[in-house]
Amino acid sequence: MNVTATHPYVAALLAGSGALPKSPAAWLDARRAAALERANALAVPTTRDEEWRFTDLTPLTKLQVQPVTTAVKVSAGDVAAHAVPEAAISLVFVDGVPAPELAQRGALPAGVTVIALTDALKSHAALVEPHLGKLAGNEPAGDDLFTALNTAFLQHGVFIHLANNAQLKAPIHLLFVAAGNGVATYPRCLIVAEGGAEACVIEDYVALGEAAYLTNAVTEIAVAPNASVRHIKLQRESQKAFHISTCAVTLAKDARFQSHAVTLGARLSRNNLNITQQGEGAQIEIDGLALIGGRQTADTHTLMDHTKPHGTCKQTHKTIVGGAGHAVFNGKVFVREGAQLTDSSQQSRNLLLSDKAHVDTKPQLEIFADDVKCAHGAAVGQLDADHLFYLKSRGLPEAQARNLLTYAFGAEIIDHIPVPSLVAVLEKLVMARTEAGV
Amino acid sequence: MSTVLDNLVSQPYKHGFVTDIESESAPKGLSEDTIRMISAKKNEPEWLLEFRLQAYRHWLTMTEPQWPNVHYPKIDFQAISYYAAPKPKKKLSMDEVDPELLRTFEKLGVPMHERAALAGVAVDVIFDSVSVTTTYKEKLAEVGIIFCSISEAVHNHPELVKKYMGSVVPAGDNFYAALNSAVFTDGSFCFIPKGVKCPMDLSTYFRINTQDSGQFERTLIIAEEGAKVSYLEGCTAPQFDTNQLHAAVVELVALDDADIKYSTVQNWYAGDENGVGGIYNFVTKRGLCKGHNSKISWTQVETGSAITWKYPSCVLLGDNSIGEFYSVALTNHMQQADTGTKMIHIGKNTKSTIISKGISAGRSNNSYRGLVKIGAKADGARNFSQCDSMLIGTQCGANTFPYIQVNNPTAKVEHEATTSKIGEDQLFYFQSRGIPTEEAVSMIINGFCKDVFQQLPMEFAVEATKLLGLKLEGSVG
Repeated sequence: MNVTATHPYVAALLAGSGALPKSPAAWLDARRAAALERANALAVPTTRDEEWRFTDLTPLTKLQVQPVTTAVKVSAGDVAAHAVPEAAISLVFVDGVPAPELAQRGALPAGVTVIALTDALKSHAALVEPHLGKLAGNEPAGDDLFTALNTAFLQHGVFIHLANNAQLKAPIHLLFVAAGNGVATYPRCLIVAEGGAEACVIEDYVALGEAAYLTNAVTEIAVAPNASVRHIKLQRESQKAFHISTCAVTLAKDARFQSHAVTLGARLSRNNLNITQQGEGAQIEIDGLALIGGRQTADTHTLMDHTKPHGTCKQTHKTIVGGAGHAVFNGKVFVREGAQLTDSSQQSRNLLLSDKAHVDTKPQLEIFADDVKCAHGAAVGQLDADHLFYLKSRGLPEAQARNLLTYAFGAEIIDHIPVPSLVAVLEKLVMARTEAGV
Repeated sequence: MSTVLDNLVSQPYKHGFVTDIESESAPKGLSEDTIRMISAKKNEPEWLLEFRLQAYRHWLTMTEPQWPNVHYPKIDFQAISYYAAPKPKKKLSMDEVDPELLRTFEKLGVPMHERAALAGVAVDVIFDSVSVTTTYKEKLAEVGIIFCSISEAVHNHPELVKKYMGSVVPAGDNFYAALNSAVFTDGSFCFIPKGVKCPMDLSTYFRINTQDSGQFERTLIIAEEGAKVSYLEGCTAPQFDTNQLHAAVVELVALDDADIKYSTVQNWYAGDENGVGGIYNFVTKRGLCKGHNSKISWTQVETGSAITWKYPSCVLLGDNSIGEFYSVALTNHMQQADTGTKMIHIGKNTKSTIISKGISAGRSNNSYRGLVKIGAKADGARNFSQCDSMLIGTQCGANTFPYIQVNNPTAKVEHEATTSKIGEDQLFYFQSRGIPTEEAVSMIINGFCKDVFQQLPMEFAVEATKLLGLKLEGSVG
């Protein structure tokens, strides 16, 4: 394992990879080494790369980050505000390293396993091996530097396993706390739902201060026939942070997957969601909301790959952009040859609140089957003058009317989240942001 | 259903024949000497040679674009002959035009005299690269309209050509535009002076004839303040086995309150059912709405070419200017199309409309790629886009790649796209009314394309409807 990257920033990022302890499994060492080889050959993408056409990573390359060496002490009081009371279990990571003393563990039903990845490699290696590092990095979107980096640094994270028909109604809460400055973290989550199983996982990224750091997260989700996974991702990183994440999902026959992603934080964030429908009749719902202002950039790239017939996918992505914010959306929908009777729809709705705010949106359909129903729509606009007038005629001041309408625009996504305490927190956050003019 | 498809797909190209006229071709290959030769042959002024050479030098530094969703063998630019002209014979009147040439046009259904007289169309006939004859010139000259080949314009109106050529599509704009700027042989030039509404539709009829000679036309249309013109472009080509490169450049300039409507029906040879042969149609078309309240409207019906790769665009610079794009692209067999438009909103209250209908059959691949860009100063800009695809058969593909970039909060941009097929129940309904499947399909497709056909001038609308019918004859049902 040698760092031979010619790109200086990639070489700098990879510098710490030699210090990784040997993993308990030889196959994992091999996967890490392969990822390092891939990362060595790649450069930091520029706006000349189609996948990064609208998001300029230059600010990131000016930030020197290293994997955490000395952990910052975080007390239970520091993270108390981020607790999710409904959760059956809550695991906490500080700068990517497990903090078991902060975890909240309740009794889990039989067949449900939620443990740190380092433990899973010892106790559940046979279940981890078929999936870890196999789902992410093999998407049709092509070679991604950040996925390769995450795999090269693969050490800490979470393994969630649901045995056949194991069902957990209460959500599983994974809290990733950023505390250190100049830190690069590479969290990894693997969620495996066996046949007929059901679970809801909350990935929650928060910051304790206003530090500058890089979170490079990868989540892999394998959903077996008839199983159902709901994935909620909240991103509230610091305003100086960089957050780049990839979530790779494979769905077997009649599997269900629901994704809710809410982006509020980070100086620059990129959310990749790559879903492959590998079995017939899978059902997918994708909700996304980005609320940004200041000089923030929020980039969401989704890829819905229908490879088998009878799949359905309903996607709604909304952005609210104030200040000099920049929202980017690219939603790819592939319908492969033979994926007949696919019903896939996609909406990109964007609300611009200020003169300097801007949006680049690119829905994309690639269809190779003739008996399908596919539609996409994109709209960019401002608050409706009639709606404002109506509220003002009812005695609401201009500012309040604007806030209410802005909030209502985002509420459609937030209200879909079936965790009341999260909805309450998000409502408060969004209200506060819209009142502050984003 | 599949037999009809097969029949439709296996329609032979009805315009395939080679006219046997001696043509004077340049030796194959491209160098500064070739360009000097073309320029000398055409007796061009020094500034134009300089324009060509600069474009050529810039072209040498460029690489072929790889981003479009089309696949073809690498083009050997040194294996193309860049100049072909019918052997010059003294031609004094229409009666003295080579009868062979006239017969070609007759086979194509362009009886020049009748067409010109009956349809009220002035036809600037381009046969390979040199303008042979131009009709109706006097009638147009009466109102001050200049409609001639670009080589004539270079000699007779150098100040206009010099002012506007390259002002919309700069010589170094892209790889194929640079190539065209270096080696263009002829094309049409049209100038509508201030306040003049062109009394008839202007038209040019292209035909690629000499085997292996790439065509590099250059069209320049200028509408001065308050002028109005409708321009028609239609093309067919004889059947050849070697691919022919076609890299044209079309530039439109609309000043204050001017209105330009540009319609195209393209039916070049598309190659056989295995994708052998066919035209590569790599075209740069761009209109500049330079003045306030100006309007440019593109309408295209693309049914031919092995590969169609073009994006007729509008730069909406003047306040309240309007850009429109109406397109029907039909691909069959192994055809590939990557087409769409760019609407660049710069001025205030600019509006654009995009209606694109893609139909794919056989093993073809049809992509819509479009850009709607709202600049920071384009207050009140408005765009509506609709891109619908129809798939006929299970082996074809339909893609949409819309790019939407908005930098102004007062802009309103809407984009919609759908993909569908001809429903069994729709066909059943027609059949229950006694309408045969094939006719029903043709009616459904015509209905699908109605929004675009409505925009075409009358003669073209008829031709386009027939073309789609011909292209899909026996292929669906």
